[in-house]
Amino acid sequence: MQIDRTISLLKQGKHITEDAVYALCLKSQELLMTEANVTHVDTPVTICGDIHGQLHDLLTLFDKSGGVEKTRYVFLGDFVDRGFYSLESFLLLICYKLKYPDRITLIRGNHETRQITKVYGFYDEIMRKYGNSNVWRYCCEVFDYLSLGAIINNNIFCVHGGLSPDVNTIEEIRAIDRKQEVPHEGAMCDLLWSDPDDVEKWSLSPRGAGFVFGQNEVNQFLHTNKVELIARAHQLVMEGYKEMFDGGLVTVWSAPNYCYRCGNVAAVLRIEDDLQRNYTIFDAVQPQDGVGNAIIPTKKSQMDYFL
Amino acid sequence: MTAVIYNEENTFSNTEPKRVKVYVLENNEWKDTGTGFCTGEITTTTTIPEDITESTSNEEKKSAYLVVNNEDSTSSILLKSRLEGNIEYQRQEETLIVWKDLDKNDIALSFEESLGCDTLCDFIVQVQKHIEKNISLISVRSGEEGIGSVHEIITAPVSLPNIEGEQNTEKMYDALKILNENTAYEFLKNETIEFVLHYDYIKILIDYFAIAEKNKCLKDLFLLSNIMKTLILYNQRDIIEQMVDDDHIMGVVGILEYDTEFANVKSNHREYLKEDAPTFKEILPLENEDLKVIVKKCFRLQFLKDVVLVRFLDDHNFNLFLDIILDLETCIIDFLEVDPFLNNILKLYDLTKQEEKEYTFLEEKRNDGIKLLHQCVQMSKNLDERDKTKFYKALVKMGLFNVLTYAFYTAIDPNIRILATETVVTIIEHDILLIRNTASKNSKLDSRRKSPIPGSQGSEKNSIPMSDEMKLLKILSKILLTDKSPGLREQIVQALNTLLHPEGCFNSLDSDLNTMGGSSMLNEFNYRLNSEKDPNFNSETEMNNEYINEKDMNSSLESIENDQEFQLQEYFNDFYRQIAPILFGPLIHIQTGDDKNEPFDDFLLIQLVKLISFASTEHTRIVSRKFILESDILKHVCELMKPNHILQLRLTAVRCIKNITVLDDKYYHRYLMTNNLYDNIFDLLEENKKNDNLCNSCIRDFLKIVANRSISCQMDFQHREEIRQQTGVTISKKNNFAMLNKYLVNRFGTLLNEMEDIPSVGTMLRLVETDQKEKEKKSKSLNDHILCKADTIMEEDETMEIRKRVRDEFDNTNEMVNVNTDEISDSMPSKRQN
Repeated sequence: MQIDRTISLLKQGKHITEDAVYALCLKSQELLMTEANVTHVDTPVTICGDIHGQLHDLLTLFDKSGGVEKTRYVFLGDFVDRGFYSLESFLLLICYKLKYPDRITLIRGNHETRQITKVYGFYDEIMRKYGNSNVWRYCCEVFDYLSLGAIINNNIFCVHGGLSPDVNTIEEIRAIDRKQEVPHEGAMCDLLWSDPDDVEKWSLSPRGAGFVFGQNEVNQFLHTNKVELIARAHQLVMEGYKEMFDGGLVTVWSAPNYCYRCGNVAAVLRIEDDLQRNYTIFDAVQPQDGVGNAIIPTKKSQMDYFL
Repeated sequence: MTAVIYNEENTFSNTEPKRVKVYVLENNEWKDTGTGFCTGEITTTTTIPEDITESTSNEEKKSAYLVVNNEDSTSSILLKSRLEGNIEYQRQEETLIVWKDLDKNDIALSFEESLGCDTLCDFIVQVQKHIEKNISLISVRSGEEGIGSVHEIITAPVSLPNIEGEQNTEKMYDALKILNENTAYEFLKNETIEFVLHYDYIKILIDYFAIAEKNKCLKDLFLLSNIMKTLILYNQRDIIEQMVDDDHIMGVVGILEYDTEFANVKSNHREYLKEDAPTFKEILPLENEDLKVIVKKCFRLQFLKDVVLVRFLDDHNFNLFLDIILDLETCIIDFLEVDPFLNNILKLYDLTKQEEKEYTFLEEKRNDGIKLLHQCVQMSKNLDERDKTKFYKALVKMGLFNVLTYAFYTAIDPNIRILATETVVTIIEHDILLIRNTASKNSKLDSRRKSPIPGSQGSEKNSIPMSDEMKLLKILSKILLTDKSPGLREQIVQALNTLLHPEGCFNSLDSDLNTMGGSSMLNEFNYRLNSEKDPNFNSETEMNNEYINEKDMNSSLESIENDQEFQLQEYFNDFYRQIAPILFGPLIHIQTGDDKNEPFDDFLLIQLVKLISFASTEHTRIVSRKFILESDILKHVCELMKPNHILQLRLTAVRCIKNITVLDDKYYHRYLMTNNLYDNIFDLLEENKKNDNLCNSCIRDFLKIVANRSISCQMDFQHREEIRQQTGVTISKKNNFAMLNKYLVNRFGTLLNEMEDIPSVGTMLRLVETDQKEKEKKSKSLNDHILCKADTIMEEDETMEIRKRVRDEFDNTNEMVNVNTDEISDSMPSKRQN
């Protein structure tokens, strides 16, 4: 099967042709369209945070947490940018999604947009690997179809960033037409951009998008929607995860040694059938035999230069 | 360790006397020992070496002293202290010099004025440089807000790597240590940089690297690599530039192949550069050697930044690399503008049949030429705006359009077309006017057409001659309709979006006003003039105030403004007359089953529907609406919601109708309702009502909009009632959404009732219920009226557009006291409903 071949190429960090990427992207559009803005997921499931193009660490993640053949996964977004293997990481995830549609849920992060990827690396990576921006465009089109959140056993709400003052109930998220570039304000923007902190009420976010929310907002949301946990990513946590607000919210971070220099460990969170939370911590891959995150492929695409 | 002596003259002498107080520390208290004049003095003593065989000449020994003569009696000396050993002098704040001499006496000189202190500090620096290498002078100042103190070396002995004799492991080890330590102080760092450049230290390292690699001396190789990285961390432009020149680059990347962090792995940068690396390809011989050097340097810096050092560079390093690269690129672009090289390349696309025969591999050359141009233009993206404009202008003048003609009509390779389009996109995104105005006066788009684009024959031959900009739009449109490459399609759509974006037209002016920074001002000016949304925008006088200092400019600005507005109108009129019918052809001529042509694929239709959505929302309403409604495009758009199309297209069509509905434009509203164009949306909803998927969400969003806007309609209604009761003025109010809501509930009531638990659907139903009750009182059905309003849509003129605008503004204002009733009571169709 074509997808298996692609998966095996991706795992080795090998080049995927432009046509193959296009075909993959179209297939994933079709699949993602059938999903809800907030997808329902059953336990047991493993929740994963930001990946940021660290392909080899993503492979470790699957290794340490059971693998997609045996385990269900929710990815909280930010698959691309920063690392050297954004394309491979994202394609690997959508290949898995196509191969095991029920086993993996992909949520959109604030980096899955045209505007952000132009600045933080994904666009440049594509220009470097393909010499033109087509593949970037195809991927961005898929970004528009990604879900905005997930809900596990009607009990755990998963989202990339956090809450929005425009969203009281999870049901309200359903009335968003998510197929668009992430707007600069409004519910969809907030879900992808907001951060929790020790604040009394909704506050301005230093990020310039989304809001900062505190325990009050979290408690209100948990109570209104009858859920017990908000699982989100979006912020680097040196220890891999961090629970806040009496365990009502958790940040999960899955990119070890972020940007190849932050020195942090990564974590994934497994939710058991009885909703018990188990964290798995893992370290960054050490490069060996020219394979590893930190090693950027020296074989750049063979393009002559004229200038 | 080597002390470095540069060839400076040892010609410094005694200093001018400066007035000071002399203190010595006794029992932890500074004791004033008197006031006098301080001079720095040099004395020379000649000593005869003990062993004459070693040296043939006598050695001159110089000694330096700080001497203070008592001001009361010049013969009495308050202080004579020799500068010697490793004494550390401290300059504290502006006027104090403090030190401990070799006999452990603490001495302080307090100068009357800081100039005096300067003089003696200079003396100490000179002595350190030439006589007593081991003394030092440190400046000590209190830190910010008086907290702590800041120490800074003014002069001190500098340890530097030993470059005498053969290099070895020990020397490498010392060098690494020294180089690291010297980064701590600005002074030491600068001295080190001077050393590295002056002695070509990098070359010394490279030479030793050859030996170490040959001897497989891993320890030394890692040391060398760390030394090289340390030198990069000095973040010094000249050092970095030296690393990438022809003499050093191979050695430098060779050294960097070894990395202590990944001791088991060695990269193969040299091999890559030698064999696999992209080579510098000259389509035509590049005669300018300087340019060649810069081009290579530029490539190597990129290679270091993106590959060799990618994990290593911190933000400062990275920015320095970017800065250097940007400078080199600016340099390259400047060169290209004046050098005949680029001109000669562009001539390749403007040859007669006869001339063409003279070239070998012409096709390859031409294709490579497009790659080259693409690269130039990509490179120019980082330049500053003015340089970009200059360069693009030069390109256009040299005949860029011939290149595009070649790419679009002759080239077979789709990648070449993609690159050509990307080039156009970059240029027009920077400044459309470059293409629009200067464009192709000399272009041969039509005369040179070698093979007509499929499907383009006939039809428009007898039409009016086309302007150059329309020709470009036409080429792009036809490629969009005929070329199947999805990448190219995306590019073309982006080009069209930019070319058809009304704001782009004002982005910059192709005039000399730019040179005085008038551009941004003009933008602001235009923005305000064209901004209907700006509530603060009242009158022209207010604006004139802002530019009151540029009296003369103002009048010229206005004329330019009017001229531009006129040009813009013409441009869009031309577009809708000449191009839109071709571009949107697939949405106008609905294909029947027996159509011989291949049906247009859904992905093309997605792009066209998006463009319609864009045109209806961004273009001057009156122009785009006329086209869209007269050509019945929306009917076809709604056809695309049917199940025989892919879901992406079906939803794109829904969004297009949604966007048009949001415009709150009564002509569109009426058109959509009289033609029952919402039917397909509700069929799609019926299909998906039980699914929680994208389609369901997309339509829910539509229903939410209808519900919310209807509520605000109703609130407006209540507000109007109040005003009517208070003032007696009846204000007619378009109630497009109230009407739409009623229409939808009546037509799709069954389906909507099924979905009543969705909040917005509930609202929709309740609004109609409430209204029904009111109606019953008045026993008058509004609905009948809605459905018989198919007329008069096309008859509007500009005055109506303006009236509508005024009314919109009126509706938005809460203060309705100064209402001019004439302005709002007219013969608009909506009025007749009352």
